[in-house]
Formats: sequence, structure tokens, C-alpha cells
Amino acid sequence: MNRTEKLQTVKELRDIIQEQVRLRRSEKRPVLTVSSGTCGQARGSAKVINALHKALKERRLENKVKVKVTGCHGFCEAEPNIIIFPQNIFYQKVDPRNGKAIISETVLKKKIIPDLLYKDPRTAETAAKEDGIGFYKKQQRIVLGDNALIDPTEINDYFSIGGYGALIKVLTSLTPEDLIETMKKSGLRGRGGAGFPTGLKWESARRAKGDLKYIICNADEGDPGAYMDRSLLEGNPHRVLEGMMIGAYAMGAREGYVYVRDEYPLAVKHVTLALQELRRLGLIGSNILGTGFDFDIRIAKGAGAFVCGEETALIASIEGRVGEPRQRPPFPTVKGLWGKPTCINNVETWGNVPLIVDKGADWFASIGTDGSKGTKIFSLVGKINNTGLVEVPMGITLREIIFDIGGGIPQDKSFKAVQTGGPSGGCLPKEMLDLPIDYQSLVQAGSIMGSGGMIVMDEKTCMVDVAKYFLNFLRDESCGKCISCREGTQRMWEIVKSVTDGKAAKEDLAVLEELAGAVKDASLCGLGQTAANPVLSTLKYFRSEYEKHVIEKRCPAMVCKEIVSSPCQYICPIGQEASTYIALVAQKKFEEAYHVIRKDNPLPSVCGRVCSRACETVCRAGEIGEPISIRGLKRFVMDWAKARGLDTPVKFPVTKADKVAIVGAGPAGLTAGYYLARKGYPVKVFEALPVPGGMLAVTIPSHRLPKNILSEDIDYLIKSGVSIKTHMALGKDFTLDDLHSQGYKAVFLATGAHKPIEIGVPGEEAEGVLQALEYLKDVHLGRPVELGAEIAIIGGGNSAVDAARVALRNKNVKKVTILYRRSKKEMPAYPEEVEAALEEGVKIEFLVAPTRVRTQDGKVRGVQCQRMRLGEKDESGRAKPVPVEGSDFLVPIDTLVLALSERAYTPYLKDSDGLSLHPRWGTIIVDPATMTTTRPGVFAGGDVVTGPSSVVDAIAAGKAAADAIENYLEGRPLVRSRQPTRPSMYVKPVELKEDELQQAKRSKMPHLPPSKRKTMHEEIELGFTKDVAVWEARRCLRCELETEDGKKAIGRET
Amino acid sequence: MIELILNGLEVKAEQGWTVLETAKFYGLEIPTLCYNDGLSPFGGCRLCLVEIGEEPRTKLVSSCTYPAEEGLVVRTDTRRVIQARRMMIELMLSVAPNSKQIQDLASQFGVKRLRFTVRNEECILCGLCVRMCSEQMNGKAIGFQKRGYKRKISTPFDMRSEECRLCGACMYICPACQLRCQGPQAETSVCNACLTMDPTCLDVYDELQCWMYDAGRCGTCVREVAGSEEGKKV
Repeated sequence: MNRTEKLQTVKELRDIIQEQVRLRRSEKRPVLTVSSGTCGQARGSAKVINALHKALKERRLENKVKVKVTGCHGFCEAEPNIIIFPQNIFYQKVDPRNGKAIISETVLKKKIIPDLLYKDPRTAETAAKEDGIGFYKKQQRIVLGDNALIDPTEINDYFSIGGYGALIKVLTSLTPEDLIETMKKSGLRGRGGAGFPTGLKWESARRAKGDLKYIICNADEGDPGAYMDRSLLEGNPHRVLEGMMIGAYAMGAREGYVYVRDEYPLAVKHVTLALQELRRLGLIGSNILGTGFDFDIRIAKGAGAFVCGEETALIASIEGRVGEPRQRPPFPTVKGLWGKPTCINNVETWGNVPLIVDKGADWFASIGTDGSKGTKIFSLVGKINNTGLVEVPMGITLREIIFDIGGGIPQDKSFKAVQTGGPSGGCLPKEMLDLPIDYQSLVQAGSIMGSGGMIVMDEKTCMVDVAKYFLNFLRDESCGKCISCREGTQRMWEIVKSVTDGKAAKEDLAVLEELAGAVKDASLCGLGQTAANPVLSTLKYFRSEYEKHVIEKRCPAMVCKEIVSSPCQYICPIGQEASTYIALVAQKKFEEAYHVIRKDNPLPSVCGRVCSRACETVCRAGEIGEPISIRGLKRFVMDWAKARGLDTPVKFPVTKADKVAIVGAGPAGLTAGYYLARKGYPVKVFEALPVPGGMLAVTIPSHRLPKNILSEDIDYLIKSGVSIKTHMALGKDFTLDDLHSQGYKAVFLATGAHKPIEIGVPGEEAEGVLQALEYLKDVHLGRPVELGAEIAIIGGGNSAVDAARVALRNKNVKKVTILYRRSKKEMPAYPEEVEAALEEGVKIEFLVAPTRVRTQDGKVRGVQCQRMRLGEKDESGRAKPVPVEGSDFLVPIDTLVLALSERAYTPYLKDSDGLSLHPRWGTIIVDPATMTTTRPGVFAGGDVVTGPSSVVDAIAAGKAAADAIENYLEGRPLVRSRQPTRPSMYVKPVELKEDELQQAKRSKMPHLPPSKRKTMHEEIELGFTKDVAVWEARRCLRCELETEDGKKAIGRET
Repeated sequence: MIELILNGLEVKAEQGWTVLETAKFYGLEIPTLCYNDGLSPFGGCRLCLVEIGEEPRTKLVSSCTYPAEEGLVVRTDTRRVIQARRMMIELMLSVAPNSKQIQDLASQFGVKRLRFTVRNEECILCGLCVRMCSEQMNGKAIGFQKRGYKRKISTPFDMRSEECRLCGACMYICPACQLRCQGPQAETSVCNACLTMDPTCLDVYDELQCWMYDAGRCGTCVREVAGSEEGKKV
């Protein structure tokens, strides 16, 4: 029912409202509500709407089914979404191609299409209706909920939900004083950020002298990531306008402005349409509905300045002046727009007003906490599964918003921080997750409510980078009037940038804090006064992250490019320049590549076979596709160089007098020996076993690390000047005191961690029960080993898999089963090892744990097991296995191999030796920064200090020990200074052509087919050919070329 | 008359006075830079900050723009004020180290070091020139351009101005235009010379010569004539 003349009386309006309400209630047709705010449109809702119309037309149902285009319904992650009335079915991520099916199945046949239903990101449960959807369950959508019911361009729709009923109530039964009392009683506080009690502001405006007053709706919404006001204006502009009309009546204002930022075209469009309708019906203008109330509203648009969200700057902007704040007092309610009393409120504040009038102050005050009444709309964005606008009662906790409503962090990453309040707010860590949200508690925690932006961050976010981002925003948006804000934000940004560039010194953090305090105190307006908050809150809760950047030149989240350079080099414990040698391979400069590898790695061929390659796990190519096969390329280069006789060592001259002794010829000890020899020290390595190499020689099977490869690397070291004496066991053949009396000035203990951990089940002492490490050692040393035909192996790590594969190659063995107590996902062994074992015929039983060893005549006959299920996560972060009652079963076996884990074991140390051991782990205690033990001159490193770790970690320990020992012998301080990661050279990139990039997949390492794997001596990995290696190398994204140094080096400065 | 409390003193102000005007009337010295008696107040240099209110809800405001209010409690030299003031001076020094006025402020308020990289912009955007041109000389030839760290003072669109009468009032009033001397510690960014202690003049000149043309304020010539201790070289 459309009228073309102005409404003359209140009764006429009342009649229209009642008519529309009746029409809505009597609507029998199905209604398809398509959420089509800015985000919906960006996701293609227009196409979906067209598809629905087309499908309806094809079936001649245009008049039987209604398609309603509404504003944003809040669940942005699920856009485009459709709610189908009357069943209230919620379909998400609708594609235009679903249009036909929706009409035929759901509308006509009342059948639900499961694929279109919401699926909980963690439990994968689906829900057909809004009240079953985790995103909506804990919300209380009193303001934003109506978006789903109305077409924002149709005033009749607003009438149909009772809209403008509150205005009627005000015009007919409430005096302005009553109204202001109601607002005060409700406890509504400004939703724009400051949280000033709205009732008080209205009262102050009402009392101000003068007959010309203004009210303004602040829709500038400048906070990055906040878009609540946009959604409300786009989806329900009349709600806001009705609020303004009520406010104007209360305060005696005759003109109102909606100051909306220029970047919201859809909001501008819908508000303009709404105002046109209101003017047409005479609901704004003079003598509204014959009551004598005059009020008109105009739109004023912003022009891209964040500072114009500040009251006085906003007023200046409307007046046509530069958007600069001014000193208050006088406050705008006394002297505002054009010098007249002005009341400015935020969009959401105005949006609450009609509800409070309609349902009463008591109803509103029943929601929320004592100090903060009502609901608040937050824009929940960032690293969150359910991105969108959430409206929740004050007092709800952050945890509920992020995990229950938000569905948690995507890709199973862990929560790190949540940023609230935009650039004026702060970051709160996980200790604050149970904080109930209200104005007071957020300020106390060091943040603010702000306009409602809530940015969730995970472990891959660098908090210093976050502070830098906000400071960059603020220095750009500062109006520039007062020097504290203008110059202060610039200087704070400079300091934080130097931190993220790895160029800051410790004193800089103190300067930053002092400056932040001064900016906060001295600034003229809210922008400057809160500009320091991002810095102050991140320093408060994440200071150690700043310190790591400053002191260690490390970025734990691996975000700061100037510090990380290429992640592969950054994460490598020995700093191998992977991207450099890969770049050289791409250019076919294999010999140069070999030198780059050699300079940082004393055991390169070994690493090329067995390194745990942390580099590949952080490879950026792996983030968007598949990581570069770095280890494979390293092996290729070493094989190539050795084949051409290039891997020839130079004997280091002995230039120093101080002798150094190293105990343990594993990777840590050998590395320390090499670097000390390089520094000119006479060094001797003592090894208890008959062969050098440690775990490399006697644990890692030959099919993974051929022993001739190991010997070649060790020979290189011996020829360089590392002297190794085998069959020399500390504690038996010599003691620490002996070394001292023999004139060794420093000792490095690197005896490793190879004492097997007992399983703790009865019967494990029986004959036929072996420890995996002992078994592997015996095999490698050529000692006789007796194995039965059926073998079970307890454990899930690399030792278990190694032992399994080696056992299977034994002629006696027919069947090998690995019994692991957790599931495949938690298995610590390398996935490719597990795959290879399965390929070879090893059986793996998951979620099984042994309870008892069954013996007969003292020999193993079987192992009693119990099935397990996964319970809560334990301290290692993995789910704890929980026994399933009554699931006992027997596995008949002839030999049981235990492969649980190892620990450090130092029986060779007496108390009088003066070293300290960890009471639980048995490791040697050292000062981690200097590697010194409690005995002067004695250093320790590798597995004997850390517990079982990787080869490359041991090599790094050896390198660090050599530096520490040198400093010690030269009488220098032992702590080393750090630099940001940089390569030694920048190689020009060889770009892949466009079509090559499309095809780029990780090269597969060729493996010996299982049928050819007879004994331990056939190497499984066969190595890349030259063409494959060069192609794989060209896939590298050359991350080190993205630092300023890198760009400069290849002439690509920006 | 408005009654307020200034540094513990009960004072009276006329309607329309600012806190700064009230303080000046009573002889209380508050440092200023962008304030000038004959121009409208700006509140940009933040040197005239005072602490208003009572614990625990005090805040700092620029006294040149804050109106005198009934019952207002004002303190001009609290710890917060002094720390903020020093930081403002340090920030100003970092962009205009060649200004004598700013160097003098540094000496006067104990700013001895500069911890930011110097950017010789020779302008602290105090706006005196803009207001001078607009309000006193009625030229309105220059104004502020852009915002934030990119802000600068120029003519519209950086074009040659037809409004500018070359009167020079902008340069006259500019604090950054009053350059420091080539005297003590000329090569450093904080000279801490004139207003602090020992005169150096005598080591450089044979005859008595007042560097600062303010005839004897540092007292050297007077002391020297009286036969007192020699000036030490700084």
C-alpha cells in the first residue's frame, strides 16, 4: 500500500504500520531471504538472486514464492546465504548453480540440501536452522537481527516489523524529560568507543541554551576491520533514523546530519533512499504528523580521514573546514556545529534507541553487566573460522566469542592474541580469554571496547608487526596539529620499524616506552591520546617477543622479512644458505653451490640423506603449493661434487697451543672438532665405540644412510685435522681429571642420549626382548643377532620404524608389526619413513598399548595388549591415550623390540667431577647461552644436554661449542652477538615461465622399488638427476630477495 | 569573575580568559612557542601543557586554549607536565635543530640528549606564520597542506601566490627561522649552550664579545671586568 501524499496525523501512520504488520503475518508464501550487504554482494549474491529469479520464472512461480533481498545478516564467512521462511532453513555459501535445486527441493519438496548447510568447523556437525548454528547460538541480535527480515530499500518492510511505532509512542505519550529519564535509566552508553552515558549527553544537550540545535549520527567508522555501522546502515537504515528522530524530539533539535564516510556507497545509497521515503511521507520536515515537531535530516559525506570520526573534527568537516579536532571544553553539546548545541552519537547507539523506547529501560538494563548495559556488535575478523558481525550481551567472555561463536582458529593453529578497539585499542593474550567484555574490564586489561573491532591472531602473527601496522595507520591519519601526535606517532613507528628490521638496540625499547607515555599524555584529541595503546599493550603482554627481535634478532612468528630473510636459512640450526645454493643449482653453477653448502656444514652428505629438514616445513613455496625438495637438492650437489673429486679437504694448520679434548664422535663432537681445528687448535676426539659417527653409524640404518657416505664425510674431517681415537670410553679408559692432567685446556662432552627407556610392563626382562637401539647397534657393528620369525615393535618414532625395516630384511623374519599407542596423526616418525615401511610390508597397529609380556620357559611367546582411545591433550600437546576397558588381546610373537625413546645417560661422571645433571632427564645442565657446565673449562652440547634431538641440532651445538671454547681460551666474553639472517651472496633469479609455474609441483625423489630392497645395504633414495634438480631449484621463490638488501643487490629497489 | 586554583593559589579570571592568560596575569611563567598575544591560540606545540583536575582523574591540557572554569584546579609544573614538556622539546629538536629558540628551550628545561634521528625540516608546524599571514597581515597566502607526518606549510597547490605581499611577517614570527649561532657545539644537535652555565666566548675572541647580543646576560663580561674567575671552555 503506497501513499503519495504526506501523512497528516499520527493515526494515519499507526494505520499504515498495523496494515503492514498484518500483511507480514498473513504472508503464506515461502520467502527466500538473500543476505546482500556489501560483503554478500562481493561474494556474488547478485548472481544468486538472479539464479533464483530465473529458476522461479522457469517454473512460473514468480508470484508464489517471494525473493527478498536484505542487508547483511552477520555471518560473513557464510555469504552468500539464504534463509528460507517459513521453515527458517539457513543455507550458506550458496552458488548460483544451486538456484534450481533450492527451488525444486527445498521450496517445493520441503527437502533439505545437506551440502548447503552450515558445518561446525571443529565437530563437522551440520545445522539446518539458525538456532542450531554455533555462530548464532550465543548471540542476542536485538539490533542487527532485523536485518534478515526487511528489504532496506522498502519502508513498508520496516513498518511491517513495527517500525516507527516507537516514534508514535514518543510523539503521543512521552515528554522530552520522560524520554531522557528513560535513556538514563536504561544505562545505554555510547557505542562509538568512549562509552559516555547517552542519557547524560542528551540531558546536557537539552539543557544547553539556544533554540537551534543539531544532532549528528557518526557513521565515519574508520577503524580498520570494523564494519558494524556499515551493516546497520545498509541493512536497516530506518532503525537508525527513527532513533535520531526520537533523539531530536528529546533534545529539541530541528536538524540532523548523518555523517557517513565516503567509502560506504551502499550505506549512502540506502540512507538516501530512506530519507526520500521519509520526506515523501512527511515523517521528516516541518510539523511532522501534525504534532508541531520539526526535524529534517541530511547526509554529509566524509572524504577519507580517520580523524573525522572524532567529534570536533567531524563538526569541522561538516562545516567545510579542515577535519582537525579542537580543545574541549566547550563540549559540542554546548557549542558544536555552527556554534550551536550539538549531540553526536554513533550509529549503533541511535539503533538501540527505538528498542529502548519500545520495550522499556528496564528490559534493556536487564541485559549486560552493571556498568555496561545492553548488547554490543563486534566485527569478529582475522584468524577465525566464523568471520562476521556478532551481537552479544555485555559480560560475555572473549573465550565464548572466539571459540563458541567464532568456531576457533582455522587450520588447528593456536590462539595468540585478540585486538580490540581498533588503532586506539590493545592486544590481549590468551591469559585474558575469560575476561567478561564490558567497558571497564577492557580498560583495566589495557585495551578499550572501541567501536567493536575484534581481530583474532594466531601463532603466525608477530605482535611487533601488529604494533607497527597500527602505528603506520595512525601516523598517516593523524591530523598533524599537535606535535605530540604528529611527530610522536612517526617516531614510535620508526623505532618499532627498526625493531622489526633487526636494527634496534636494547635502549630503544626504553625510549619507545617513554615516548609512548608522552604521546598519551600530551596529545590534544582521542586519536593521539590512544595512539600509544597498540605499543603499550603489546609491550605489556608480549615484551619477550620484542626482546627477541632486539637482542637475538629473531622473529618467533617468522613474519618480519628483514629479520627472517629466507625462512629456510633462518630456521636451519646451522644457518645453511639453502636459497643461495638452490639459486646456484637453478643456474647450473653446481660447483659454487657445493662451496656454499660446505662452508656451513661439516657433514653435508650425511645431512643430504637424513636431515630432519625444518627448512622444508617453513618453505614459503609450501604455503601456496609444495615445498622445495631442499634435502634432495643438497644431496644432488654433494653427489655431483664428490663424483668430480671436488670434495677435497685442506689440512688446517695448528696455530694455537691450547689442546682441546672432545668426548663423543657423534655429529656434535665431530663438528666441534672440525671448527676447533679450523681455528688452529690441536683437537682430539675420544669415542667409546669401535667406529666414529655416534647414532649416524650405529642407529640410522644403512638403507637410509649408507655407511660409505658417512665414512666419506668423516674422512673429510679427519683429513682436515680432526684426530679421532676409538675404543676410548670416558669413565672406563680415562676420566675428566686425566684429561686435565694431560694438559687439555678445555673439554667438550658430546656423548649423546642413547639409553633406552624401559617400558614398565611385567616380563620385559625375558629372553627375546630387545631394545631397538641395542639391536640396531649390534647389526651395524656386525655382531650376531637372533631374531624370531614373528616380531612386534613397541613405539612410534624413527627408531621403531628403523628397527622394523631392518628386521624385515633379516632372513629369519616373516612378519613385523609395530604397535603404537596413539593414532597415525600423532606418530612422531617421519611420514615418508612410515609410508616406506608399509610399502615394504611392515604392519602397523594404531591405538594399541602393551600390558604384559607373555613368556614360556623364560622366553617371549607373546605380548598382551589393550586397545586405546584418544583422550584430552597432555603436556606434549598430543592427545593422551586412554585404555578401553575389556579390550585385551594377545599378539603372539617370538621377539619383542622396545623402541620407546632414549635419554641421556652419564655413568662416567662421578660427583667429584663437578657437573650437575637434570634430576628427571639425566641430561647435563649447561648455561644455554654459553654451553658451560658447572666445572670450569668443561662444555657440553648435543643430545647429552637437550635429550634426543636431530642431527642438525647436534651439528649446531658443535659449532656453537667451538666458538664458545675459542672465546674461553682467548679470555674473551662467551656470549655471542646476533645479526639478522642474511645470505653471503645474492644470486640473480632464474624465473620460471608462466606455464611452468602452473605445472610446478614438487619433484618426487625416486625410490628403489620394494622388490629390490633385499638387505640393508641397498639405499632407498636414488637421488635426483641433473635436469630434475635444476627444474626443482627453479621452483624456489627466492625469499631472500625480498629484503631491502636483497632488492638492492639485484637492482629491484622499490 | 571566575575563581580557580593555580598552583595552590586562589586566583580570579575574567570571563573568556584562558588558563594561560590567567597565569600570565598573575605572573606565573608557562613556556609557549606557538602562542602569540596578537594571534588566535592554536594549541599545537604542547609546551604550555598544565595538569588539571584532582587525583586520580587529572589530565594534561594546553593552557593557551583551555578556558578558565569555575573551580578548576591547575598545576603548571608537575612531574607529568615536565616529562611531557621535555619530550615535546626533544621531538622539536629532532626536526629543527638549527633553531635558536628551540635550543634555548632545551637548555632551559634540561633536555640534554636527542634520541631520534635528525630530520632537518626547519619547521615545527606551529602555525604561527599561517595565523600571522591570515590574522595580522590579512594576506591568507599560506596554509597547512595534508595531514599527519606528511603535513607541510605552503601556498595552495604549491603555486606562486598572488596574495603574498612579501611582507616577511611569516619569517619574522617563525621560531625555527631564528637560527642558532655557530658557537659552542655547533656540530651537535643539542647545544645546551647559551642558557646553561659557562660562557665560551672568551676563549674564541680576544676582546670581550657577547655572542648572543644580549649584553651581559650570561654575565661573562661583567665577571671578567670585575676580575673574577675565567670562563671555562665547554
